[in-house]
Amino acid sequence: MIEFQHVSFAYEKERPVLRDLSFKIEKGESVGLIGANGAGKSTLMKLLLGLLQGEGRIFVDGTPVEKSSLAEVRRKLGFVLQNSDNQMFMPTVYEDMIFGPLNYGLSREEAERRVDAVLERLGLQELKHRHNHRISGGEKRMAAIATVLAMDPEVILMDEPSSALDPCNRRVVINTIRTLPQTKLIASHDLDMILDTCDRVLLMSGGVLVADGPAQTLLRDRALLEAHRMELPFRLSGC
Amino acid sequence: MHMADALLAPAVAAAMYAASGTAAGVSVYQLKKDDEPQKLPTMAVSAALVFAGQMINYTIPGTGSSGHMCGGMLLSALLGPQAGFLSMIVILSIQSLFFADGGLMALGANIWNMAFYGCFVGYYLIWRPIAGGSLFRNLAPKAAQRARIVLASVLGCVLTLQLGAFSVVLETSLSGVTDLPFGAFCALMQPIHLAIGLIEGLITSAVLLFVYASRPELLRDVDPAGQAEAKRSLKATLAILAVVVLVVGGGLSLLASSNPDGLEWALFGNAGAGYSENMGLDEESYGLSSAAADRAGAIQEKTAFLPDYSLAGSENPAGTSVSGLVGSALVAGVAVLICLAGGFFRKGKPHKP
Amino acid sequence: MNKMQRALRELTEMDDLAAQDSVMHRLHPTAKLLSTILYIAAVLSFGKYQLSGLAVFLLWPVLLFQLSGIPVHICFYKLRFVLPLVMAVGLFNPFFDTAPLLYLGPVPVSGGVVSMLTLMLKGLLCLMASFLLMATTGIDRLCASLRRLHVPGLLVTLLLLTYRYVGVMTEELAVMTEAYQLRAPGQKGIARAAWGSFLGQLLLRSMDRAQELYSSMLLRGYHEHFHYAPVPAFSGKDALYLLLCAAVFLLLRLVPLAQWLGGLVVR
Repeated sequence: MIEFQHVSFAYEKERPVLRDLSFKIEKGESVGLIGANGAGKSTLMKLLLGLLQGEGRIFVDGTPVEKSSLAEVRRKLGFVLQNSDNQMFMPTVYEDMIFGPLNYGLSREEAERRVDAVLERLGLQELKHRHNHRISGGEKRMAAIATVLAMDPEVILMDEPSSALDPCNRRVVINTIRTLPQTKLIASHDLDMILDTCDRVLLMSGGVLVADGPAQTLLRDRALLEAHRMELPFRLSGC
Repeated sequence: MHMADALLAPAVAAAMYAASGTAAGVSVYQLKKDDEPQKLPTMAVSAALVFAGQMINYTIPGTGSSGHMCGGMLLSALLGPQAGFLSMIVILSIQSLFFADGGLMALGANIWNMAFYGCFVGYYLIWRPIAGGSLFRNLAPKAAQRARIVLASVLGCVLTLQLGAFSVVLETSLSGVTDLPFGAFCALMQPIHLAIGLIEGLITSAVLLFVYASRPELLRDVDPAGQAEAKRSLKATLAILAVVVLVVGGGLSLLASSNPDGLEWALFGNAGAGYSENMGLDEESYGLSSAAADRAGAIQEKTAFLPDYSLAGSENPAGTSVSGLVGSALVAGVAVLICLAGGFFRKGKPHKP
Repeated sequence: MNKMQRALRELTEMDDLAAQDSVMHRLHPTAKLLSTILYIAAVLSFGKYQLSGLAVFLLWPVLLFQLSGIPVHICFYKLRFVLPLVMAVGLFNPFFDTAPLLYLGPVPVSGGVVSMLTLMLKGLLCLMASFLLMATTGIDRLCASLRRLHVPGLLVTLLLLTYRYVGVMTEELAVMTEAYQLRAPGQKGIARAAWGSFLGQLLLRSMDRAQELYSSMLLRGYHEHFHYAPVPAFSGKDALYLLLCAAVFLLLRLVPLAQWLGGLVVR
């Protein structure tokens, strides 16, 4: 579904952010992208979304991510931003959710049906006509996920979906992620959440992919994690 | 400086709408021609920032009071005049629609007084020639650029506020809602706004200097390296000269030329026949009011609040009379009745917010 | 509560009001917008002494407050913005215009007092009218209506986006102000040393935010085209309301109703 072939990227020539990255994600996989701050996780996401252009080739469902194919590629990808306020730019949840579908040419009736279906699936019907600056942090995160789901993407990318949420809201978000059938790529420091939601983990450090393996094995490897400024998930740390 | 609807006559309001609307139309056209789609979110976020930023109180050293930031100069320095102008329009609209700060009908005038001068005059006459010029060449490049930014912000704020305040006076006077003589009104508004402009200029320059220190590429016409080209020097000097002349000639000389103690004199009812001529007033435009003021002045009533008894309301100017007032009272009564009957129209109780 | 928190509360208050339902809320936004403009124009067209003609216009907002179920006290709270300049201008009138205009029994009332009261009443009426418009319409429907009235899309979209971020930024600044005050007790405002950096920091972050926001728009297929809230078609009912308003305002503007009413009682 997603393929990176020798991808490198640098904002300034001498200081590369990503170096020769290659990996493949199959359809239906849930992949966690972990690494310390500045490891290059966000940059990787932006390259995949075509918001940045680097060296090497990136494919989404066989289509190369290039200027000419951006619309087609982006249609398949749904990106949940870390800061929901930046994601939700319309006054109400409903208008935000319908923004994407309308842009992709759905009629208002079709788009609205889709919005309603997503809201119902996530149990968020009562948020529909609420104002974005009036809903709580947890609701906002769920609404942001709903916004992306309303576009019916084939791949869902998430940047720190569990950040700044209380335990209960965090759990709601995790459970929601688990029920999503799409291919998922989730960047996070919340290794407990990754353990709950992903079957495979990519560990990045200093712009390089240092490990790629099943979540259950990789997230138990204390030496590996600590060598790259991470620590064992709380649940596996034995305390 | 936000004008309320009540201060304007419909014709004046419409004229100002036409003027501001034209400027907005041209701005929209030019922005579309530039075709920078990422500008829209930047404008929105900057406008929201300025909206919120104008609520910050800055302590003015040595005084107990506080000042605010000037949005027009900041926005045009960041976004350029057209985008800055549209952003200011949006800020003023939100202030008027949701906070009643400036009226719906007065929006055109407010846009002109605050956004047009702040963005277009401030940018083309001040910011671009000064901040993008090569003044202070004897200083180190960075220091020179900083000095240019401060100079441009302060001059820009002073000039645009003077123009804005003058327009408020002009629009109010043309609307004929005030009896305050034009000159006295100016003498009231211009010096206050001179002080405000200086302070706003300093605050705005502080923000711009911070931006210059951290992300100079965000500022328009400012050379990030501080290496200004020399070719604008003459232009810049001329522009600054023009501005100084404008400010001194316009704002300050108004004060000087008005009767030395004009306001005081006017306030205490000495408004003689010659007064309005002194102030360069067109008496015709005042119609009844100036006639009334003249008569009043002739009597030299010191306690101005108490009307003189010598003039009966023989020529009733506009239909207000005792019966009119009684009728108004009746109307108020009807209004109360409507309120009482309110429940009749409504389904259910009004919701508590 | 600081200024920003107050502003936020006012914003949410307006949103809440606009989210209610009433006859007035259900009217087409364009009908409401145009009738409000007509009303304000009619009010402003009165001369400076025509207090009694103006008084009749009080009935319209009062009626609308009742029909919409909007509490009037919120509106009066907003007078604090309207009154200062109106007062500053109006308060001088009694000093300059001292000729008595009429006698209330033995008490003469000067032209200046009448024109001051007229000015203040105008201020109040216009405030109520535009407040009612927004309290029954809301930003999304207003924007949709503006777009239909051929206000440039760029401007309308900007209004919509800015409105959204006014909430976000004001909240952020409210928090920053509180944090500042906690570390600078007793200071009334931002001290000289922090003039630039206080807002400057937020400004820089905002530029990154704008970039991210733009990405978010792009990723959802944005291309120069915005969709506005669905507004039902302009119905006959809306047209009737607009026509009725126009007719009534014109009538009230031309016919000295208060004078007649008073005449019935006084003489």
